[in-house]
Amino acid sequence: MPNKVLNIIANETNGRCYQSYRYCADDEIKIPTLDYEDKGDSFIIKNSYGETDTSLKTTKSLRDFSDKIINIEPLFEFFLDGSRRTYKIDDIEINRSVYPIIAGQIGVACCQRKSPDKFKCIELENKIVLSLPKAANPNAGDAKLFFNKLTDKVNQNSIIEKRELIFDKILSYDSRKQDENTKYENLGIATIQDEMIETEKRIVASLYSKRLINANRYLIKDGSLQYKPMKTGDFKELIKIKNHYKSVVGVSKMFNPELCVDHVGKSNADKIAELKLYHRTPVYKHSSAVVGDVYFAIWYVRIREKQYSSSPFSGVLKLEKILITDEEIENGLDSYEVDLITANIINERNPVCYGKDNRWANHLYPIYLTETFIKSKYLSDINFLNLF
Amino acid sequence: MKKIGKIIATEKVPTTVEFFYFWTDKHLIIKPFDVIKVNHLNDSITFGVVEEISHLTDGASFLAGYISSDFGEVEAKTYSNRIGMNYIKAKVVGNTKNIYTPVLDGSIVSLANSDEVTMALGLKNIKNPLPCGIIEMYEGEEKITIPVNFNSNFLIGPEGAHLNISGISGLASKTSYAMFLLKNIQERYLKEVKDESVAFVFLNVKGRDLLAIDEKTDDLPENDAKMYKDLGLDLNPFTNVKYFYPFSRDIKSTTYADVNDVKNQRTFNKAFQYKYVFEEDKNSLDLLFANIDDPNQTMESIVSTIISGDSQFSGIKDWTTLKDEVQSRQAKGDTGKDKTISVLSWRKFYRLLNKTLTRNSELFSNSINESNKEVRLEKAIMQIHNNEVYVIDIAKLDEEAQGFVFGDVMRAIYELKLGQIDREDSEIPSKIIIFIDELNKYGSKDVPKNSPILRQLLDITERGRSLGIILFSAEQFKSDIHDRVKGNCATHAFGRTNVIEISKSDFQYMPSVYKSMLTRLEQGEYILQNPVFRSPLNIKFPRPLYKQYKNG
Repeated sequence: MPNKVLNIIANETNGRCYQSYRYCADDEIKIPTLDYEDKGDSFIIKNSYGETDTSLKTTKSLRDFSDKIINIEPLFEFFLDGSRRTYKIDDIEINRSVYPIIAGQIGVACCQRKSPDKFKCIELENKIVLSLPKAANPNAGDAKLFFNKLTDKVNQNSIIEKRELIFDKILSYDSRKQDENTKYENLGIATIQDEMIETEKRIVASLYSKRLINANRYLIKDGSLQYKPMKTGDFKELIKIKNHYKSVVGVSKMFNPELCVDHVGKSNADKIAELKLYHRTPVYKHSSAVVGDVYFAIWYVRIREKQYSSSPFSGVLKLEKILITDEEIENGLDSYEVDLITANIINERNPVCYGKDNRWANHLYPIYLTETFIKSKYLSDINFLNLF
Repeated sequence: MKKIGKIIATEKVPTTVEFFYFWTDKHLIIKPFDVIKVNHLNDSITFGVVEEISHLTDGASFLAGYISSDFGEVEAKTYSNRIGMNYIKAKVVGNTKNIYTPVLDGSIVSLANSDEVTMALGLKNIKNPLPCGIIEMYEGEEKITIPVNFNSNFLIGPEGAHLNISGISGLASKTSYAMFLLKNIQERYLKEVKDESVAFVFLNVKGRDLLAIDEKTDDLPENDAKMYKDLGLDLNPFTNVKYFYPFSRDIKSTTYADVNDVKNQRTFNKAFQYKYVFEEDKNSLDLLFANIDDPNQTMESIVSTIISGDSQFSGIKDWTTLKDEVQSRQAKGDTGKDKTISVLSWRKFYRLLNKTLTRNSELFSNSINESNKEVRLEKAIMQIHNNEVYVIDIAKLDEEAQGFVFGDVMRAIYELKLGQIDREDSEIPSKIIIFIDELNKYGSKDVPKNSPILRQLLDITERGRSLGIILFSAEQFKSDIHDRVKGNCATHAFGRTNVIEISKSDFQYMPSVYKSMLTRLEQGEYILQNPVFRSPLNIKFPRPLYKQYKNG
């Protein structure tokens, strides 16, 4: 069967495919990148506040503020989410080592809410990628060139052409011998995750350059904004693109409560668990060794009654915003802006995706819709696995 | 035309040769019976008629809705409304290239223009067009109005015949719709049709409903006048109308019509009073006992004895003598040769005969004065001419007499059409249309099987088409009507009805949405079914052109 994608890969890499069992890796492998954006490598800047109002020591109710603004135009008009689905499609033997071949579908979309009833996708990047070990390159020459050529060859394959699909690129993961805790599968998946993040950054840059997002029209990005620098890509260092994030708020549904610390560095997980409905915490200034010289304002808000939630942290959202100007870095975010963002987030609490997603208490509906939209664009697992 | 959605075909709900589903914006106003078109294979277009419309959101359960309102806060407001859409079930009614493979997922669905709707519903190039109402489709700027025509060959023969109209009293305007169609038929035959002729016989069963159908109404709303114009009809009421009232000297005791109106009609030679004379009408005597249960056929035997002029009944010339003779039988029993009829049967017969003759003592008369515009109905009907309309008033008669007159009229028409009269064939109208309201009185499932009226009705519905006798009937509840009577009607008009009625087997084949629409139809609205139409049609028709009395 010379025309199969895996045969092309085997031929071009001088490897041998094993025709192993194919499966969707997302459910099978617990990957460390799952909580990629909240790994504990950020740290609090002690004795420093993340907002201008330094008098706030405990929590603050935003019920009245959110009620007051419910009838005016919402602050958030754009919603960005990225998602990827990965598959282990085969094992390949190269130079007596056996590596997994990982494939993935990546979807990143930004939706715009023009009115309560008008919700449209304005940016969508949907791509399929492969991830091979670096050792797959049989030549000493430029690896990038080799993988690009391989991508072209795969795309010329009749099965792929017939289905009018195109592999966006073939990524490569480190094929050096790894320690016991690191599996090649996870490295492959991590490259696909990086590609997704790169796509997210590109879409934010596009929105910024088109002046779609501004001080009156904010973007909610699902998940953390603490992007680690990457080795490749146009947006590899966050510090160089942080201006794009002036009107972007990162909203995390899941966060590690152990990493919640107050401005003196003490754990305040208990205080977050005890947060009252529609209350927010003070803003903490964070920095991250991994991310580099970028400061983040981080705070928490409870949007659902604790009595209806399944755990103390469900119903609590972690909000992040990059501190951009020198003044912001020095004095923190303007507390009014923090209140405005928080009140708007509170007003985004309804409707809920109860019954559709177990994380409903922490989900914001427009983000849920964007995520559902992306997933609706995926090829089905069975369809995807049979491309190879 | 406006694109409104796309086809959805799923594992559980695929598109089929018969049906398809599509999504539309939740704000799009569309209604059952609207026609939509779908782009299909080989550049063909498949047409569908909307049957069911559902609204759907991504809410997993009712509870999700409750929670989304801050756990039951009615006043809770949101920045986003739940994502939702409408999905519509449509019935395939045709394809421009006769391609009937199911429409494909993702195909675009659009509204259709007037021409396309006409084609889709099989209303294009209808032969022998007879206006039967208008259909209105879509809303707002897209709204279109299309005149609808029957092919008259399928309404009044020879291809199909008989019309049945059902619906609850008042709200369904059954009489108005029948009159609308009948007026159009008269107009068409007066203006266009030369090789055939038609005459009409209407039975007035309620108040003064049909007692001024040749008098123009004064209050026809402008919209209705426009509707007549759109349908290419003129605004004149019936012409060539003759009214037949049951005889009584004072007029008013046998009719609800105003005495002066009747007198006025008489001066124009339009009104007559009918009577039944024993010698000539004794053959119809069986009709008086149509609704009497007669399992042993004793009533039938007595009637035969009387008609055959056996023994003592031979010389009887009037009703009084008949009554006396029957009375004598019930006192002493049958003294004739045939002793098979018991005294009890004679007693029963006498009781019934006496009741009818006493109550209608002037109608059952011993003589006729033709100069006083007194007529025998049978004779009058035998003389009916092309385009004439006979209105026979039976509203104020008791039930037995009503049945008697109706049966007699049907019998006379049957005889006329069978050529049992000394008239040139060319003079006899080629079609005679009978209109009877409250058909349930004569053709219901509860009417005894040996009822001569029911037999007559069955004869007309089963064989009338070829003879040129057409029955237009109306009743409140279709489910009450004898299966063979309604089954032989080619055209059915369903007006507003109630929920009990739509649960009956007669409505089993109807989609549930159409059924529930039947309970909401407005006055002047009907759902029509005719062999020429590819799908039932929801039509509207204008108010009658003739004078109607507010209090019946």
